[in-house]
Amino acid sequence: MQVDAIPLSIKYKINYPDEFIEAVKRGEIVATRCKNCGSVYFPPQKDCYNCGKNEMEWIKVSNEGEIMTYSIVSQKPQGFENYKDYIIGIVRTKDGINLMAWIKGQPKVGGKVRLTTDDTRIIGEVV
Amino acid sequence: MTRRVAVIGVGNSKFGRRDDVSVQELAWESIKEALNDSGVSQSDIGLVVVGSTAYRGIELYPAPIVAEYSGLTGKVPLRVEAMCATGLAAALSAYTAVASGLVDMAMAVGVDKMTEVDTSTSLAIGGRGGNYQWEYHFYGTTFPTYYALYATRHMAVYGTTEEQMALVSVKAHKYGAMNPKAHFQKPVTVEEVLKSRVISWPIKLLDSCPISDGSATAIFASEEKVKELKIDSPVWITGIGYANDYAYVARRGEWVGFKATQLAARQAYNMAKVTPNDIEVATVHDAFTIAEIMGYEDLGFTEKGKGGKFIEEGQSEKGGKVGVNLFGGLKAKGHPLGATGLSMIYEITKQLRDEADKLQQPLKKYIGLVHNVGGTGHFAYVMVLRR
Repeated sequence: MQVDAIPLSIKYKINYPDEFIEAVKRGEIVATRCKNCGSVYFPPQKDCYNCGKNEMEWIKVSNEGEIMTYSIVSQKPQGFENYKDYIIGIVRTKDGINLMAWIKGQPKVGGKVRLTTDDTRIIGEVV
Repeated sequence: MTRRVAVIGVGNSKFGRRDDVSVQELAWESIKEALNDSGVSQSDIGLVVVGSTAYRGIELYPAPIVAEYSGLTGKVPLRVEAMCATGLAAALSAYTAVASGLVDMAMAVGVDKMTEVDTSTSLAIGGRGGNYQWEYHFYGTTFPTYYALYATRHMAVYGTTEEQMALVSVKAHKYGAMNPKAHFQKPVTVEEVLKSRVISWPIKLLDSCPISDGSATAIFASEEKVKELKIDSPVWITGIGYANDYAYVARRGEWVGFKATQLAARQAYNMAKVTPNDIEVATVHDAFTIAEIMGYEDLGFTEKGKGGKFIEEGQSEKGGKVGVNLFGGLKAKGHPLGATGLSMIYEITKQLRDEADKLQQPLKKYIGLVHNVGGTGHFAYVMVLRR
């Protein structure tokens, strides 16, 4: 016989760098660059695994990009049930950073986008 | 100097929705079969590694429970996890223990009871199979989405079609229908696949493997032990390779194949001193249909970009250049994450022993391969096996 087991509710708290969140609110995307060896990190990291130093500076990422690939999400996961179908894309910026974004407009592999944010996440608007 | 290691016993539970059993009962189904198959008993085994992703079942720490139920208490010091490649991660640990001389016989048990949570919870857990903080949190990725990103680019760069992907599903269901242990035993048509509900375009429901319960077990022994026990049909692990790739999928820089698979395959082929052309039968990780197409390419069965043609030409069918997923694959046989890799070893062992009945690939060299991917290329394992 099947019975209901005791439910497990898990709540997590996680941290993001203030610099990243503030940039997103301004409509900008930022990455970190190692002051010692120049390695650039996106997702941003505090520690440079290339040279082992931890002195980073925040740099602005270009807002011009190209859609490398995308998918239209119909079956949405927890936390996103109330959204209309959304398009997740991978965008390569003019300065060579590859990042995930929601795509607005008609997507095409190789199509150009202008990167901005919606206060929360990175958005690639098809141009 | 490492020792030669053989697979001397395999077991595979019935895959599917298994409300009738607990995780430990499910594990016992394959453990018992593997013990009977090898002729050894629990007390002969020096180390047992349990592979389980566990998060979808009520037992979050299943190793001691599985051990207790199966009479293996005392031999199970760990559980391993490598997302969908958990089965071969467990196999690597067991293999290494025997090859190094630490033990003469080791067992790898893979088990997951994934249907104890509902589909929405399962999708949310799967969608975290990347980098939660920088992906799921903002973008609501699902597991199918990650594979869909590869499918879209493969279609754009190489002209791979949704019809070619559908053929992978049709092949899997055709063979699954002949395997009583498979989750699905019903053939599907290309049209049914193409018309099935879109999950994360271009991936549709019938491009996707099911959420399954199941277990699989393999027992590994040293060459000395194989001789001592007079095992008449050992299957030797002659090559083993493994690799991983970035968690944040955008960072990988290309999205038409898995670098982890390419690296793992090269390592396994070099160790086994074979080429892709020597492989006659294989399991290729087909969590989604595009995965099998990329697998043909990344494993070197065909050139990059020609995976769609490879299935279209029937080269991966039974009797083709390399028989792929002849037990139904993840798509039709099912994909209980922890069990999958060991279930692949089960299949190839049966094939190399000529014990696959209606699903038997005609073999000349008796060289087979198993390929298990974790996440969406986050992990990859490749093993070359020979009779």
